[in-house]
Amino acid sequence: MAMFSQNPLMNGPNYSFGDAPKIGAPEGAREHRFDPYTDNGGSTLAIAGADFAIMAGDTRLTSGYSINSRHHPKVFKIGGTTADQHDATIVLSVVGFAADGEALKERLDSICKMYRYRHGKPMNVKACAQRLSTILYQKRFFPYYAYAILGGLDEEGKGAVYSYDPVGSYEREQCRAGGAAASLIMPFLDNQVNFKNQYVPGSGEGHALQERERRPLSRNEVEILVKDAFDGAVERHIEVGDGLQMMVITSNGVEEILLPLKKD
Amino acid sequence: MVGKDCVAIACDLRLGLQALTVSNNFPKIFQYGDNVFLGLTGLATDLSTVSDLFRYKVNMYRLREERNIAPKTFANLVSSSLYEKRFGPYFVSPVVAGLDPKTSKPFICGFDSIGCIDFAADFIVSGTATDQLYGMCESLWEPNLAPEDLFETISQALMSAVDRDALSGWGAHVYIIEKDKVTKRLLKGRQD
Amino acid sequence: MVKVGEGNSRAATFQPHLGRLSPIEIYHARLGRLGKAWQRDLSSLSSGWEVLLGITGRDFTLIAASKAAMRGATILKASDDKTRQLNKHTLMAFMGEAGDTVQFAEYIQANAQLYSMRNETDLSPSALAHFVRGELASSLRSRKPYNVNLLLGGVDPITHKPSLYWLDYLATLAPLPYAAHGYAQYYCLSILDKHHHPDISLGQGIKLLTLCIDELKRRLPVDFKGMVVKAVTKDGIVDIEFDDDKVVKSA
Repeated sequence: MAMFSQNPLMNGPNYSFGDAPKIGAPEGAREHRFDPYTDNGGSTLAIAGADFAIMAGDTRLTSGYSINSRHHPKVFKIGGTTADQHDATIVLSVVGFAADGEALKERLDSICKMYRYRHGKPMNVKACAQRLSTILYQKRFFPYYAYAILGGLDEEGKGAVYSYDPVGSYEREQCRAGGAAASLIMPFLDNQVNFKNQYVPGSGEGHALQERERRPLSRNEVEILVKDAFDGAVERHIEVGDGLQMMVITSNGVEEILLPLKKD
Repeated sequence: MVGKDCVAIACDLRLGLQALTVSNNFPKIFQYGDNVFLGLTGLATDLSTVSDLFRYKVNMYRLREERNIAPKTFANLVSSSLYEKRFGPYFVSPVVAGLDPKTSKPFICGFDSIGCIDFAADFIVSGTATDQLYGMCESLWEPNLAPEDLFETISQALMSAVDRDALSGWGAHVYIIEKDKVTKRLLKGRQD
Repeated sequence: MVKVGEGNSRAATFQPHLGRLSPIEIYHARLGRLGKAWQRDLSSLSSGWEVLLGITGRDFTLIAASKAAMRGATILKASDDKTRQLNKHTLMAFMGEAGDTVQFAEYIQANAQLYSMRNETDLSPSALAHFVRGELASSLRSRKPYNVNLLLGGVDPITHKPSLYWLDYLATLAPLPYAAHGYAQYYCLSILDKHHHPDISLGQGIKLLTLCIDELKRRLPVDFKGMVVKAVTKDGIVDIEFDDDKVVKSA
């Protein structure tokens, strides 16, 4: 029922939290409940390449069946010297509850800035990844409802992607999809990035089958893959759409690309 | 899945009760005539009941009409049979695939458990790995695939999708239906 | 609202709140309710502690069932036979709710025998399995469904092919090389996954069964009082002497 009351035209004022006045309750009695979380939908995606990493997210912000914004970014540069983040080398993406995502981003950003101020050098991704896990776990019993992915280049200059659950479990991976359409995108990534279920033609049957050898994908290939993944997700998930924001992290810094997605 | 002058239908082989796998050889695709196929997912007992029921109904149709049932006719039979049980439904979500016996045009459609038909021009998915299958099909499928390419597409889509679903997998059956030829293939897949 | 306990057994399951919902919501609520009813917890049923095992091999099907008849925490009988012979080469083992099991099994047995008498030929194991499934399926959507889980083992009288059918109370039918019901599934299927082969001899089959039963004795928290073991071969059904007194040291 809560799902339908999101539309202000139908039911008068709408409440994003569960403290709406109870209709039909006995006079004077009012149930007080505070639900601190909302799911704002959307989806994110990160792929690590040989010498780059791409972080992507759609720009739709929803609550229930309504679209609150078509231009709400989910991917952020982290730990630059200034607020405009022109020299940032790390990128964070967040999906889930937008307010928690925003708070998490601000927190991690200020920590990275403090690190730069104290040590006179930027934080590397590995350290930042561990710190993000700590931040999330510190709120183990009132978590940030956000699925975070952190991307950058490691000490050897290779693309690095770290994915998180809301309470700080994390893992370095080749690729990861997060958010509402994660279940649609993730098998596609297995298939197209890690070549899962792909075998060398004519290599035999059963155990004789030879897996197709993995090779690092070029930046262009990955950009196309990301666009295809989101085009698929947009088609079948109502919470995903409007715009595709991509951050490409290379040794030259972070490049931001904005592409249109379907707006229906 | 629809291709150029052909259709494909595929299923996994797992039968399980929640997390426990009871059988790893439980096909979910049934043939009713030369080129009419029905895929079923849902409650296993209703899978058997429904597939047996349609075998009976299609056999009776063949005896009465002295011809095979067409996919479109069969789809409407499925729909009306499921709607008959509107207030105590069979817990299945069927998929029909076939070629029209007269025009050889590909035909696919899906249903909810009470028989609402979903006609599609591209693909239909059903079962516990629906989300994953939508993601795969939406990105791998393209119009006018030749039979061999359609086989590769449907197989890659199914295998990758079920590998991301704990409740599906354990191999697969794939049928490629052409004008005067039906090819059935068994895919081994991951055994976990 | 219907008063609970007015002699109408439906009253207990009457859900007054469904009245205020839209048809679609009632439909979903029903789906949810039925869904829950079908996810029964084994531990809350005394039948959860019963053991049913079946193994097929090259030319036989082995069926084993625990000997204990339980009612709550009490063992009523330690020499219960939870199997019924349907015809010369088909055997059915059953477990589940106390009254239902024997009632249903003997109903099936009587019908199988009636068929054999009328037609002077036996139904094949596969035909019987599908007959049982049909009966169980129509019972499932009746006012009072049978709560019976079954294993049906047989050897085809013509082809001499052994077969084993796994049926649960939902009338789910699965032909399998080896099968179990109840908690035995969790303990034995992994052992059978590792050691079973479709070409084993009866001796090897009994060894494999012993392996499974030893594990049950080791890990199940109750004493199921040993097993009734029967083998179906092309020559009919034979009782297998099984050492129930073997002591298995706990792990």
